[in-house]
Amino acid sequence: MKREHALAPRDPVQGTQGLPGTFAVCLAVLLAALVAIFQATAGGTAFTTETLRRSAVAQTPATVPDFAVVDAQGRHRGLHDLLAEGGKVWIVDFVYTRCSTLCLSLGTVFQQLQAQLAAQGLQDRVGLLSISFDPLHDQPPQLAGYAQRMGMQPGLWKLVSLRSETDRRRLLDSFGIMVLPAPPGDFEHNAALHVVTPQGQLVRILGLGDGAQALALAASLTAR
Amino acid sequence: MKRLAAGLAMGALALSLPPLRVLIEQSMVWHMLVQMPLLVLAGWCAAAAWLPASSHWAHRLERWNRFGLTGFMLAQMLTAYWMIPALVDRAVVLPAADAAKLASLWIAGVALQQGFQRAPLAVQLFFVGYGLPMLAWLGLYLASTDLRLCNAYTLASQLRAGQGLLALAAALGLAWGAMVWRQTVNPAPRRAAGRAP
Repeated sequence: MKREHALAPRDPVQGTQGLPGTFAVCLAVLLAALVAIFQATAGGTAFTTETLRRSAVAQTPATVPDFAVVDAQGRHRGLHDLLAEGGKVWIVDFVYTRCSTLCLSLGTVFQQLQAQLAAQGLQDRVGLLSISFDPLHDQPPQLAGYAQRMGMQPGLWKLVSLRSETDRRRLLDSFGIMVLPAPPGDFEHNAALHVVTPQGQLVRILGLGDGAQALALAASLTAR
Repeated sequence: MKRLAAGLAMGALALSLPPLRVLIEQSMVWHMLVQMPLLVLAGWCAAAAWLPASSHWAHRLERWNRFGLTGFMLAQMLTAYWMIPALVDRAVVLPAADAAKLASLWIAGVALQQGFQRAPLAVQLFFVGYGLPMLAWLGLYLASTDLRLCNAYTLASQLRAGQGLLALAAALGLAWGAMVWRQTVNPAPRRAAGRAP
């Protein structure tokens, strides 16, 4: 009996014919997909970019880039120089002073943290730092206005802006912040609390609701 | 059909290149409800055009795709992969991930057509009954949560995409129902055509 597939493809596949092969291929597809998904989601623990960013930093601290920042008084200094000040561990967030949505809740979180810092007597060990990612608009006068609106106490909570758009890119990339223009004239961005050591190491990223945890972690890092 | 398949594929590809790329970068709806379904549809049409059930290659493939099981499994896995928010973000930010998305969702379309082409109704029901609720669940979640799941998209965009995914799941369910109706419940026109003198 001669069988020529090329000319006679009509002999029908019948019964259970082909089932073992099919099951084997299905199993291979399933395994490959599970491995791919496992690998892309940090072992099935993180399904969003934000949770991936947080788990990556928790496992391997990242070094914050160094560049010039400017404060509300118009003074320029290096970011690492600022972070090293007084050997404090910093809780860092990113804002822009025109913000009317998310940064307001960030501002509220930071106001509460400021109050807790003072109440727990941690002001010599832990500091709050807000960095503006809107260097084109946020000049010293805007910073001063924002600091006043938020009731910032200089010894507890610092606010700085950047000098250039290139620094902005570097900073946001290193922290893994994505800023999207959102009408009208607003930005939308992933907001979180970033715990940074005096040596400029980003060691943990926590959610806005985890202020107490961030404070406790920062205090424990200085206690060592 | 071949021209349609090529046209759909070109359309989906164009959305990943400038100047249209800005659409999928800014809107989750363009990304998840226009480009992704377009890719799957392009793959489906290509398979329908080049790999119909009677073709030599579809026949050879059947030995590894009995009852359409492999086709469904592959399509299910590939589409599930690209529903993960972190991977949607990656496709926006990394060109390599975007290329992988283009290729794999087109393949998902081919696989889906090859699945439906060989699958008895019970197998179709199993995969449709699993896949569409998964799609609808994702849509419901995107449309109802206050959490921004994709760092690349605004919450407003995510909300619209969620509503769109719900509508897509409903539309696909209806389309499948119509297909089943034509093939089984009311096959009279075909029979009549077969008996025509």
